[in-house]
Amino acid sequence: MKKLTLLSIALVAGIGAAILIIGCVTSKTVTAKSGMQLWGENCIRCHNAPSSGDYSNAQWETIGMHMKLRANLTDVETNKIVEFLKSSN
Amino acid sequence: MKPKKLLVIVPLLLAFSMVYGQDSTQTETNMKLLSGVPGNTKLLLTGVAWFGFQAILNDKVKTDVTMNFNSYGFSPMFLWKLSDKLFFESEIEINNGAIELEFAKLSCVLNRYMTIGAGRMLTPFGAYGERWEPVHIERFPNAHLRPDDNLLPDDTHLYWGAIMGVDIRGCLPLGSSKLNYALYVSNGPLLSKDENGHPTGVIQYENLLDENNNNKEVGGRIGLLPFSNSSLEIGFSAKHGIAGDRGDSVYGKIGATAYAVDLSYVKSIDAIKSTINFRGQFNTVMVDKANYYLTDSTTYTFDNNMQNYFVQFSIRPSMVRSKFLKKTELLFRYNSLTSPKDALWGAKDKNGKGGTITRMDLGLCYWLSWKTGLRLAYETTAMPDGTHKNEFLASLVYGF
Ligand code: HEC
Repeated sequence: MKKLTLLSIALVAGIGAAILIIGCVTSKTVTAKSGMQLWGENCIRCHNAPSSGDYSNAQWETIGMHMKLRANLTDVETNKIVEFLKSSN
Repeated sequence: MKPKKLLVIVPLLLAFSMVYGQDSTQTETNMKLLSGVPGNTKLLLTGVAWFGFQAILNDKVKTDVTMNFNSYGFSPMFLWKLSDKLFFESEIEINNGAIELEFAKLSCVLNRYMTIGAGRMLTPFGAYGERWEPVHIERFPNAHLRPDDNLLPDDTHLYWGAIMGVDIRGCLPLGSSKLNYALYVSNGPLLSKDENGHPTGVIQYENLLDENNNNKEVGGRIGLLPFSNSSLEIGFSAKHGIAGDRGDSVYGKIGATAYAVDLSYVKSIDAIKSTINFRGQFNTVMVDKANYYLTDSTTYTFDNNMQNYFVQFSIRPSMVRSKFLKKTELLFRYNSLTSPKDALWGAKDKNGKGGTITRMDLGLCYWLSWKTGLRLAYETTAMPDGTHKNEFLASLVYGF
């Protein structure tokens, strides 16, 4: 148990430190990618990627938030993907 | 409960209610502003239904039922985006007639990198429970070989099903890589009992209302996506909780620690005009040593460790011209489950020792939409005593 407690503390501390260090810096590669590319790379990872026409714009916002939380996507990539899906609807 | 644990749980709940409080005021203001605008409802009702068939191919007992439409179900899922910070998700599952609330979780975004959630939620341990179990995501007609009540005296829910608790989660961009995390505190596991009320040593994780003790389980998963195209993700998970009954002098302190490693690699490759998908998860649970009852007076003990894993590969020629082929996915899965060698339960070899069950699955999925598909599989299970079971399975899964 002691080992696990130490491990948990180390993990929490590590993540905390990473959050502080990263601050508002976002990965340049992601910034350079289009919403379409991010959609193609990310939305096929767990299931088939739904296409923009499968849901309405309002629904994409709800789905975007759901996937950001469930699939642990970054803020930036989720926003770009949702914008892409809405714009191609 | 230990004060140390309270130190974790109370601030988590406090943080949650404070942010919720602030945000509900914001939500009210937003609602007032938006009430005149049509089409602002952020509720999404989706769901999935399924229907399955099973044929056992090598059962020679003339009285056994070997062919059956063996499963049906429907799962509506309700998703509410309440504001930019608040989200509620819930799913009701009706499986072979039994109704269950799968999850009901409220999440609150604290900042770009952290969200706090509370309620009944899918277990953030391993990738399978949260990500791959939903029936429209599972590409085979059935789940992989799991330590459940088909093979053990009780259902372990070791890395699937739900927990009741609080979690924090998020994703951090690290240059061109990403790191994601989910850490939770929940009601802990339970040491399952036989019909005489004696513990068996099997650990049951879906102990939603924690009827056995005050201990709270801590656990979580860290995921790493080293490549900028997100094709590869490797996850490490751990959890620990006390499974014995409160105040029980023999079993009261029995703890269970579990670990999991998961991996997924998904990539569309132009050269072969196909999408390949590789995924797998290894799980192990280690239970503190204790004496268990053979009869009411004699006891015995054993190393209570169990291992279970599966690896799965699939290929779908998604970029070819043929309309038929591009909807077809070929699947292969290998499964293994090793129960404790000297336990009274679990599959045994010819010498009565616990052994490894393996299963090989070949499958085909024909996709009718991104969420709807017809699945077929041939599966062969090898028991440690040398016996085999061969099955044909089919299912139709329709998502909407
Ligand atoms: C890490 C895994 C994962 C990734 C990556 C992922 N999803 Fe999902 N997605 C899921 C799971 C799991 C569900 C099913 C949720 C359930 O039934 O409990 C789901 C469900 C959905 C649904 C059905 C409605 C809903 O919200 O449940 C849509 C639409 C969807 N995903 C779209 C997307 C899009 C678009 C992306 C890319 C931004 C994406 N997904 C990326 C795991 C993932």
